Amino acid sequence: MAGVALFVPCYVEVLRPSERERALRVLRALGEAPEVVDGGCCGQPAFNSGFRDEASVVGRSLARRLRGFDRVVILSGSCTAMVQHYLPDLVPRARPLAARVSEFAAYVASHPRLEQLRLRLEGVVAYHDSCHLRRELAGTELVVALLHRIQGLDLRRLRFEDECCGFGGTFSVKLPEVSVRMAEEKLADVRSAGARALVSTDLSCLAHLEATARGLGEPLETWTVADLLAAALEGTGA
Amino acid sequence: MSFRARSRRLLREEEPERVLLPILRPLVADAARLMGERPADARSRAASARAAAIRALEPLHQQLRASLERRGIRYHRVETAAEARALVHHLLRRSRRVAKSKSMVCEEIGLTPYLRERGIDVMETDIGEYLVDLEGRGPSHITAPALHLNRARIRELLLRTGADVPDDDPLRLSQAVREAVAAFFEDCDAAITGANAVVASSGRAVIVENEGNVALGVSHPRLHIVVTGLEKVVADEEGALAVLEVLAPNATGQQLTAFTHFVADPLPGQERHVIFVDNGRSRILRDERYRDLLRCIRCGACMNACPVYRVAGGLAYGSPYMGPIGAVLSPLLWRDGRYADLPFASSLCGRCTEVCPVGIPLHRMLLELRADAVRARHAGSAGERAAWRLWAAAFARPPVARAATATGRFLLAALGRVRRPGAADPRTLPDLRGPRGEGLRSARPPHHEPGPSDARRLPDDLLDRFRQRAGEAAVHLLDSYEPAPGDRLVPAAAGIALTGSVLLAGEAAARRPLLAAERVVIELDPARIVPLPRDLEPFLTGEARNDALILTGPSRTADIEKQIVRGIHGPAEIAILLKREERP
Repeated sequence: MAGVALFVPCYVEVLRPSERERALRVLRALGEAPEVVDGGCCGQPAFNSGFRDEASVVGRSLARRLRGFDRVVILSGSCTAMVQHYLPDLVPRARPLAARVSEFAAYVASHPRLEQLRLRLEGVVAYHDSCHLRRELAGTELVVALLHRIQGLDLRRLRFEDECCGFGGTFSVKLPEVSVRMAEEKLADVRSAGARALVSTDLSCLAHLEATARGLGEPLETWTVADLLAAALEGTGA
Repeated sequence: MSFRARSRRLLREEEPERVLLPILRPLVADAARLMGERPADARSRAASARAAAIRALEPLHQQLRASLERRGIRYHRVETAAEARALVHHLLRRSRRVAKSKSMVCEEIGLTPYLRERGIDVMETDIGEYLVDLEGRGPSHITAPALHLNRARIRELLLRTGADVPDDDPLRLSQAVREAVAAFFEDCDAAITGANAVVASSGRAVIVENEGNVALGVSHPRLHIVVTGLEKVVADEEGALAVLEVLAPNATGQQLTAFTHFVADPLPGQERHVIFVDNGRSRILRDERYRDLLRCIRCGACMNACPVYRVAGGLAYGSPYMGPIGAVLSPLLWRDGRYADLPFASSLCGRCTEVCPVGIPLHRMLLELRADAVRARHAGSAGERAAWRLWAAAFARPPVARAATATGRFLLAALGRVRRPGAADPRTLPDLRGPRGEGLRSARPPHHEPGPSDARRLPDDLLDRFRQRAGEAAVHLLDSYEPAPGDRLVPAAAGIALTGSVLLAGEAAARRPLLAAERVVIELDPARIVPLPRDLEPFLTGEARNDALILTGPSRTADIEKQIVRGIHGPAEIAILLKREERP
C-alpha cells in the first residue's frame, strides 16, 4: 500500500465536506493519485483537553491506517503538528509516521512538479497564518510563496499576522467569551487590510473567524489553500 | 471562582483589552527590536545560564551560602510559605515600619497582609505596587502590577489617601506616590526587596529596578532583607550578565533598567539577610516535565505576548502569577487544585514559548498540566469524561466516525449555531458549502496606519554608539565639567555602548549620596566602553567583587499607562563626562 494518502480530518468533514474534492483536484494536477483516508482523527481534541487515554486510542487507530503510505498529506496544519510532534510520544507506533506527514499546502509548495501548475485567480485575499503552521511546522513562508504563484491574486499580509485567532480547539468552547474577543481582534486586522476574503491552511481557524464575522453581521469569505488552488486551476482552464 | 467566571466579569465590566492592547502590542514589538540588536546567542546564553543553575542547584546553594557568609550576609533557606513569613516576622521583631519593594515571591507567600495583621506598618514602595495596594485587587502583571489601572482610576485612589492631585497627569500622579514613599523612607526601621539573581561565586544579589526605591531599600542603614525564590541563584557574574542582557528588553522594552544593583557587603551598622523560599520549587525540580520552568526570570514576556492575557487581563487568573507563566506555575505551587483550570486558559498558540528569552516550552507544559488536572480529577466533569469516552469509541472506528461527522454536520446545519446556556456567543454557522468567490472581488484598499519607523541605524563606532544610547536614556553628555552645588561627581569603572549605561563600583556606587544629589556627573574614559552588557564581566570579577551599580539614565517609572516619568527617587539629571584617563 505504498503511495500518497490524503487524510481528511474529522472537522473538515463536518464543516466543509467539499474541501476534499478540491484538494484531490490539486494533487491530481500535480500527477498524484492519492488515496483518501477519512473517518478518523489525530486525537488532538482529547489530547489538548487533557484526556490522553482517549486521545491515544483514536491516534493509534489513525496511525494503524496510515502505516503503509510513503507520504501522508493532511488537510490541516494543526492535525499535522499533532501527528508530527505529539502523537509519537503518546502512541509509540506513530513514530515512523512523524517523518512522513505533510500539511497539504506545504506539500504542494515543495512538490517537484509544482512548476506544471498554471494558477490564475483574480481577486484580493488576506492571509491568515495558523499558529500551528507557523510555530510547530515553520511553514509560513513556504505557504505564502505558494500563494504568490497565483497570477492575478492580490495576497495581503495582516499587520498582526502572528497573533492567534482565538480558536484553539476546545478552548473556543470552554472559554467562548475570550475566544470570540480574540476573533474580533483578528477580524479588525482583516478589515484594516481591506479584505473580504481570507485564506489559510487551517479550516478550523477559518470556521471560527467566519462564524464570528457572520454573527456580527460582517460577511467574510473563507478559503482554505486547497479551495483557493482548486479555483486558481479552474481560472486557467486546467 | 474560575478563570471563566472572572474573565467573563472582567470582559463585561472593564474590557481589559482596551487598556492592554495599545500598550502590549508596541511592547512586544519593542522587545523584538531590542532582541534583534543583541547578538543571536543572547537568548541561548541566558537559557544556558539558567539551565546550568537549575542543574547544579544544591552545590550552588552551598557555595552561595559560604559566599554570603564571608560578606557577613545571613543566608536562610525555608521550606514553606508559612516558614518564610514567620522568619521575616522574626527578623522584623524590632521594626515597626517597613519599606517593601516589589517581589513576586512576597506576593506568592502573602507577606504584606501577614505582617500587617501582626501590627507592622508595611509600605509598598514601588509605584505600581503602591497603587494596587490601595485598590486591593492585587497586581495584574508581574512587572507592571498596575497595568489595569488607568490614570483616572489612579487619581481616584490617590485622592482617597488625601494626596494633592488636582488632575490625572501621570507625572503628577507618579510624584504624589513618590512623595509618600520618600517620606516613609525617611522614617522606617527596615527594608525588604526581592532579587533577580544571587551570584553563587561572589555572593552578590542582583536586583533591577527603575524608580530608585530599591536603591533606598538596599541602603537602609539598619536592616535589609532580601526575599527570593530558591531557583534564583546563578553560578557567576557571567551568568548574571547573560540574564540581564535579555531581562529588561523583554520585561519593559528597555535596554537595561535605570538601576541594576550588584549588592555586596552590608553597610557599616547594617544587617543583611537573604531568604531563599522553596515553597514547592524542589518538587518542580524533581519532575523533569516541569524542571525547566525554574529557568524563569520573571520578565513577563509571555504575558505581554499572550492573546488570552491581553483580552482577559491579569486579574482573571486570580493568582499572583498570571499569563502563561502563571497558568503553568500556579497549579504547580498550589497543588490543591485551586488553579487547575488555568492551564486551560490558553489557545495553545505557542507565542509564549516563542518569545520566552530563556527557552521554557510553556505551551507544552500547559498540555502536561491539563493531563495532570484530568488525572487528579481537578478538571473534567463526569459529563465531559463520558463524552470523551464516547468520542474515543466512535473515532477509533472509521464507519462510526463517518456516521458521527455526518450527524455533526446535520446538527450544525439544523441549529445554525451552537447555543450554550449563559454564553453570549455571537458565532453563527459558517457556510458549509465553502467559498463562492464574491469575497475575492469585493475588497477595498488597505488602511493600515503606518507603523513606527524605528529604523535608526546603530553606529558602528563604540563611542558613537554609546553617545546615541546614553542620549536615548536621557543622559546628558558633557564636553567639559562646570562644578555646580549639589553635584555628585563619580568615576565610572566602565560603560556599555549598546545600552548607554555606566558601571559604578565601590564608593562610587554608594546609593544614598547618589540619590541625594541634584545632579550626578559621571566621568568615563572612552577606552573603558565595552560593546555589550556581557562584556562587563572582567569589571565585576577578580579584585572587583565589591558593591556595584549599573546606571542607565535617571530613575523613572512607567507604572501609569506606560507613560515614562523620569526622576522618581534621585536626581532627574545624570550627566556623563567623557574624559581620557591620564596614563603614564
